[in-house]
Amino acid sequence: MRHRHPRWTAIAAAATALTLTATACGGSDEPADTGGPVTLTMSAWSLKTTPEFQKLAEAFQAQNPEVKVEFKEYDADNYDTQLTADLAAGSAPDLYVLKNLKNFITYQAGEQLLDVSDVADGLGDNVNGLGNYKVDGVTYAAPYRQDSWYLYYNKDLFTAAGVTPPSETWTWAEYEKAVADLTAGLKAAGSPAKAAYQHTWQSTVQGLALAQTPGADLGSGDYGYLAPYYERALEQQKAGSQVDYGTATTNTLQYQAQFGTQQAATMLMGSWYVATLIAQQKKGDAQSFQWGFAPAPQHDASTKDEPITFGDPTGLGVNAAIDENKVAAAKKFLTFVAGEGGATALAGIGITPATLTDPVVQAYFGVQGVPGDELSKFAFTTHDTRAENPVSPQTAALQNILQETHSAIMSESTPVDQALTQAGERARSEALTSK
Amino acid sequence: MSTTTVGGSPGIGADRTKRWYRARRSLQGVSFVLPNFLGFGLLTLGPVVALFYISFTNWNVFGKAKWIGLDNFTRLFGDTSFHRALLNTLYYSAFHIPLTLAVSLGLALLLNRKLRGVAFFRTAAFFPYITSIVAIAIAWNLLFSRDAGPINQILGLFGVTDPPGWTASSDWAMPAVIIVGVWREMGYYMLLFLAGLQTVPPELHEAARIDGANAWQRFRNVTLPCLRPTTFFVTVMLTIGSFKVFDLILVMTNGGPGQSTLVLSQYIYQKGLVENRFGYASAISVVLFALCMLVTIVQFAVNRRRNA
Repeated sequence: MRHRHPRWTAIAAAATALTLTATACGGSDEPADTGGPVTLTMSAWSLKTTPEFQKLAEAFQAQNPEVKVEFKEYDADNYDTQLTADLAAGSAPDLYVLKNLKNFITYQAGEQLLDVSDVADGLGDNVNGLGNYKVDGVTYAAPYRQDSWYLYYNKDLFTAAGVTPPSETWTWAEYEKAVADLTAGLKAAGSPAKAAYQHTWQSTVQGLALAQTPGADLGSGDYGYLAPYYERALEQQKAGSQVDYGTATTNTLQYQAQFGTQQAATMLMGSWYVATLIAQQKKGDAQSFQWGFAPAPQHDASTKDEPITFGDPTGLGVNAAIDENKVAAAKKFLTFVAGEGGATALAGIGITPATLTDPVVQAYFGVQGVPGDELSKFAFTTHDTRAENPVSPQTAALQNILQETHSAIMSESTPVDQALTQAGERARSEALTSK
Repeated sequence: MSTTTVGGSPGIGADRTKRWYRARRSLQGVSFVLPNFLGFGLLTLGPVVALFYISFTNWNVFGKAKWIGLDNFTRLFGDTSFHRALLNTLYYSAFHIPLTLAVSLGLALLLNRKLRGVAFFRTAAFFPYITSIVAIAIAWNLLFSRDAGPINQILGLFGVTDPPGWTASSDWAMPAVIIVGVWREMGYYMLLFLAGLQTVPPELHEAARIDGANAWQRFRNVTLPCLRPTTFFVTVMLTIGSFKVFDLILVMTNGGPGQSTLVLSQYIYQKGLVENRFGYASAISVVLFALCMLVTIVQFAVNRRRNA
């Protein structure tokens, strides 16, 4: 047996050498004095199919050739879990994306984010959604994307049904009437399409209810504000104006296919779908038809000048454990991606950035395939986007409870009022008292 | 390789040699087990021990874990969602265990004879076990679809006018999940039973036949007793598997509609990985661990008494 020892030693030595080289390649110890070349690492997911990260890095490097931005790729579905593990292990990148607002508080309260208030002060008021990252007067991240929800509509199907397309000032009452007319009109025209498609997510009902209802508060434990929105959804489901929830879940319906293959004349969906639909029409995954997007229907006419919608920003934060020598470069990058420079680059690939200045709007509507009508332009430029997940330590638990409430109501397992009362009770006993 | 002293003087020297020899033997044994044990210790034992500690803290990923004693466990007592998850887990297990046991044993008996193409049928029965769970969920959800699903269409042929909503109904979601659970795992346990059936001595069957026992009597008095070790093993594995059911429910119903299919594992996942309350999630895990342990101990005790 003794003759094996040298071999084991050799293997161990090789392994150690390999590990050392690998760590060196990781570049955590760049000799970065200010002004010299700096390499920043940033988290990302699905780099092959998500061009936004590369786009931001390229646009920034064109102006700042001394700073290099490298990506650490994560699994899109397990992003927060993997990132959390890396942060806890001290191996997370210098800058990391906050995919949604729900988990922002975990990173902030866990002291994993650097104070970037100076970046926020420099950005001014043009950046939508920036305020969400402010806790006790300190800003911990800046948004580069601010998606918000629109009402997508199929112009061809509206014409076929003989119904007037949406206007800037649609209230829910007008929307309901249009849906009823569409249902009748499409049937008369012999079209198999439904008037609307409502995806199975809780946000399709709850997001707008929370944003638009005066006084609605996720943390109050009072969910009566959801009732009219659920009653409307159930009504349309019963009337056959939209596919019912059970069918949508059991058949695993994809919203992209529902609207993209003209199964539905209208659909409430986030602004990210604009780029998807254009790409799918180009590739042939979606049929070709005339479409546009309008502001989401409103609670009443009082908000018609600046329609209220909802959506979470996508933010970028600086790792609290970043090397001191890199902080200046990281903040420079953050200022760029949240500001007009990053916004123009993102708008050029059909993404809705957080900063919406004139050049950004021009870049967005210059993308081939983006509907150029006045209503779509109005919906893109004019809106008051409220957070889907208001920042609070209880939000994740509350959204879990409301997710279960959503499936109970939409599957018609529990009546609306009963389900909302139960949700309130559970919120008080499970989420609001904890912490 | 072993060095034994041949012809040496008996006494202290031989004793020492013997002891050394024995130590060397056991060292060799340990070195064989070590790689596996290191992995087990690092990836399983360590986390399990840590789990018990974390369950007494309010740890939430980052920062310090504060010792809060039994707070997490007292909270569990009043947590209605936890009660619901516990009841649902018992509901699932109460049906899943006996059904899978019966179906897999039935399949094994059916496929334990010389049939044409028996290998094909055995493989076919095993397929669900190795098929991607996501694909299974999508396919079964389609089959269960209330209006257009083939299952309800067949029920319609038998005159069922108001067929169940299956995964889209809070009353029928659990039965639907149980059916898929049984279907998915029957092949694996069938294989175990098939192996067990090979150990049944044919002469016992022959003797029983000569004594005039019919097929049912032979099954009850020859096959079943001979299968007892296999049955015991299968029951223990099935029980633990049922208590831990997770992926199937996550992809088929995500615990819904409402909380109708929420089970313990999923509740742990929700509290831990979604809400980052690892202390509380660990406390639930400890309860699940205790539950599995308790049931397994009872099963061992029952089995020992039967064997005695």
